Amino acid sequence: MLTMNNISKVYQTDMVQTHALRDFNLQVEEGEFIAVTGPSGSGKTTFLNIAGMLEPFSEGQYMLDGIDVGKLNDNQRADLRNQKIGFIFQGFNLIPDLNLYENIEVPLRYRGIKAAERKRRIEQCLEQVGLASRAKHLPQQLSGGQQQRVAIARALAGEPRFLLADEPTGNLDSLMARQVMELLEQINRDGATIIMVTHDPELARRAPRNIQVVDGQLADFTLYQGTQNLKAAGV
Amino acid sequence: MFLHYLDLSWRSFKRTPLVSFLMVLAIAIGIGVTMTSLSVYHMMSADPIPEKSSDLYTVQLQTMDEGRTWWTVDNMPLQLTYQDAVNLNQANAGGKRVTMVRTGFSVYLDSDKVKPFIGQARLTTPDFFDMFNLSFIYGGVWSTQQEADAAPVVVINKELNDKLFAGENPVGKMVYLDDASYEVIGVIDDWDITTKYYDLNNGAFNKTEQLFLPFSLMKARQLENWGNTNGWKHEKTNTFNDKLNSEMVWLQFWVELKTPAEKQAYQDFLMAYMQEQQKLGRFNREKLTATLRDVNEWMQYNNVVSEDNEILVGLSFMFLAVCLANILGLLLAKFLRRAPEVGVRRALGASKRQIFFQHIVEVAMLGFLGGILGIILAQVGLLGVRQSYSYYQSLATMDLTMLLSAPVIAISTCVIAGLYPAWLVCKTNPAIYLKSQ
Amino acid sequence: MLEIKPIFHALCRSKVGAILLLIQIAITTAIVSNAAFIIQDRVSYLSQETGYPEQDIFVFNVMMFGKDVSPSQQYELDEAMLRQIPGVVDAAYSSNTPLSGSGSSSDFSLKPAPEESKSARTSYMFIDEHGINTYGVKLIAGRNYTEDEVIVTDNYDELSKVTVVTKTLLDELFPEGNGLGQTVYFGDIPMKIIGVIDLMKGPWLKDSRPDNVALLPFIKPGTNARFVVRTEPGQRQSVMNRVEEAMLKNYNKRVISRIRGLDDDKESYMAEDTLMMRMLIVLITILVLVTALGIFGLTLFNISKRTKQIGTRRALGARKSAIISYFLVENAMICIVGLVIGVIAAVYLGQLLMQHFSISQLDISYVLATALAVFVMSLLAVLAPAKRAANISPSIATRTI
Repeated sequence: MLTMNNISKVYQTDMVQTHALRDFNLQVEEGEFIAVTGPSGSGKTTFLNIAGMLEPFSEGQYMLDGIDVGKLNDNQRADLRNQKIGFIFQGFNLIPDLNLYENIEVPLRYRGIKAAERKRRIEQCLEQVGLASRAKHLPQQLSGGQQQRVAIARALAGEPRFLLADEPTGNLDSLMARQVMELLEQINRDGATIIMVTHDPELARRAPRNIQVVDGQLADFTLYQGTQNLKAAGV
Repeated sequence: MFLHYLDLSWRSFKRTPLVSFLMVLAIAIGIGVTMTSLSVYHMMSADPIPEKSSDLYTVQLQTMDEGRTWWTVDNMPLQLTYQDAVNLNQANAGGKRVTMVRTGFSVYLDSDKVKPFIGQARLTTPDFFDMFNLSFIYGGVWSTQQEADAAPVVVINKELNDKLFAGENPVGKMVYLDDASYEVIGVIDDWDITTKYYDLNNGAFNKTEQLFLPFSLMKARQLENWGNTNGWKHEKTNTFNDKLNSEMVWLQFWVELKTPAEKQAYQDFLMAYMQEQQKLGRFNREKLTATLRDVNEWMQYNNVVSEDNEILVGLSFMFLAVCLANILGLLLAKFLRRAPEVGVRRALGASKRQIFFQHIVEVAMLGFLGGILGIILAQVGLLGVRQSYSYYQSLATMDLTMLLSAPVIAISTCVIAGLYPAWLVCKTNPAIYLKSQ
Repeated sequence: MLEIKPIFHALCRSKVGAILLLIQIAITTAIVSNAAFIIQDRVSYLSQETGYPEQDIFVFNVMMFGKDVSPSQQYELDEAMLRQIPGVVDAAYSSNTPLSGSGSSSDFSLKPAPEESKSARTSYMFIDEHGINTYGVKLIAGRNYTEDEVIVTDNYDELSKVTVVTKTLLDELFPEGNGLGQTVYFGDIPMKIIGVIDLMKGPWLKDSRPDNVALLPFIKPGTNARFVVRTEPGQRQSVMNRVEEAMLKNYNKRVISRIRGLDDDKESYMAEDTLMMRMLIVLITILVLVTALGIFGLTLFNISKRTKQIGTRRALGARKSAIISYFLVENAMICIVGLVIGVIAAVYLGQLLMQHFSISQLDISYVLATALAVFVMSLLAVLAPAKRAANISPSIATRTI
């Protein structure tokens, strides 16, 4: 459902050109759970931004659900982002002046969903992440793990085609991290496609498919269960 | 420590030059506007003779029939009739007193050097100079005998002396006023009052007179009144004597009363006087009223400070409030952005009070700079006022009080505005800002 | 798609910035409405019709100190001389001059004093039959007085019997409209109204009856006299330059002073009001600018504080227009509350001004017009920062501080 062909991204600053991504090719099927790893500075974040249509790319082709993203203007990309993608950020990015209910509501309002339908979805998603009782609270009143769960609820409320998670457990302790991962796995089992960027190999191991970004290019290998196979693969 | 805070404040200013400049500008504009209208107000309402303003009193007598009105708030006529002025002048009551009338002459010398010109004059009894604290640079005032004899003598002011006699001692020289010659017997020094409080009838801010002559000359030579003459009843006033005997009011009268006892005694005297006049057929009314007003009361009663001025001062202060709200916003922005640095300082041992004080000093410095710039803007504003309305020439200026008030107002308003942001920033929890981002 | 409820909740949770803006908007509205009203009042005062062709008329003072001529006779000669000067339309001795702040007034009544009767406050000028033409005013009914009816004298033996008055005075004394030909009393002196003038302002524009003027053909000059001269358009300055010399040549034991145009006199009389008007204009201009800059600055600051949030919203699917409208709506909400308070404050301030000063009742349309103008101004001030906000890239959301 998602295809990237020969994607490259060049940042031009004064005299210096930086190739963040070059000749990047990727195919993602419905229902996959992909972990994207790589050293820092490899271009993981750039890949994420492009996949999420947060940035335009310099060359190549990006097809999402049959739509050629490269041909879209800014408004169309915004609309598509809103409808098809759910974001989960490392820093949670909840809006501090809004309570949990209002935070989850933000993308739904942009889509023009009516109040009654919004209410239904928000309550359902809060239930799903186990925070229904705290709908009126402000983000500052929650722990890091809880904030991330709200962010996940926000991502889910729009019934997106796939979730883009950027270091979702980066700011959490190990207990909370494990809870968030379990939640993501559950959501994946329920049928959502997830692309997760992470530098934590533990986390990456839990995803059925791993891809590695090195120097702006993709190296794809899939982990089978068990570390034996790693050894067998000569890693 | 204070100097250290000044140093910190200055560096903080330099770090965000645009925001700092905007803040200084906002305060300067607010101060500039406020000080422009406040200075004019201050000059208009300033006590012109503070050493004795509560000792000098005007007298108003309610001479009209019952039911008649005047355009003053208490219906009292603003001036006295000739009879009353003369009677009070001769009475054995009160301290020094003066009765006077404004007039004018064609002024010329026996030579062709100076073309005849109009001179503004005042006919007054001799206590005038002493009562209003005038000083002589040559000669002196006329004697009581000269006053009684309606002697043709004149006291001139320094400006006129410069014009006619090149500033030399003119005592004994003659000058022609209209068709008669008068002997100059004295020259008074510059009389720098902004408000002509002793006679507010024809413009409170006009210049003082150039010529002063014995009051008795008016009757003796039938000199014309150049001030206001007002009547409230129908009277035949074809001849000069008719006018002197009429109920028309056109004379000014001041009396010096130094203690409350003296004032009360004089008040009693006035009541007795009016009752006595009633027997002569005047003061045809039931309730007899006489009012005494000292210099400041008189100025207020005559609305020397015009309504327009009061309105402008009020609006200016409201405007200052808007500028302050502006600054408050900018201060909040600036201080809160600096919270991480404050966090570090607190971690290094600064107490809340020290942080608070540091920021107040910064705010005060802002006020000081704004006050200074505001003075410059106010000077521009006052120049504009003087250009627009030359009558305000001496009013639209900043005296020492105003010059000092500008930074004081600026600093105090800035400090008030800065209290909330400074308090906010000193109560932030340092720990939050010490975590790495 | 106005996110009114969430914007409102967000504002309630971080009130300070909003309150500061509120206060500025409220005070600005209050001040500007009242100041604009006062300005308008002054403008109509300053631009009022006086009835005279002011730029073509000048006046001057004559102070005679020589005692060897009869003043009234001398002034007759002077009038004749002045009327001959090329460029002069007409000239006349006038006991005082209009628009100068200096003059004479009395009550003109229907019955002679001391009988009680209806009376009207009137300012009067002693002037001969050339008066109407010299002052350039219009006679709309009846007639001017003839030369014979003008009394030129140095005593009070004979008094004038006719008068020409303004329509306003006529209507005040004779509301049924039958005033022409009637007799009015100046004290106990009877005068028949033989002519009516259209509009003619007296010496004091701020009088209770500035339009009640009577011309009386009784010339008994004192030592202080005034002359009024009307010239052809454009000739006034050249005649003014000549008049002192011409008058002194006729008789030199006098001082000719204060040669000035009628419009100059009016300007001096109105100078304080002109100043007030100018200061108010300066005040409200600066005030509006300061408030607009305040809104601009505060919005810029808010945006920089919320950069991460704006990026996140974009990432979640907000179009650029949604970001702009967010700030416009937020500002509009604050503005509306500020305006409501401001309108109330404006009305209250208007009441205060009316009570304590002689300002008339504030016209509500000024308040509403000001509120609308302030609203538009604040939206415009937010627009540029809002557009800047909309250009924040959604990729900010994935950047870690």
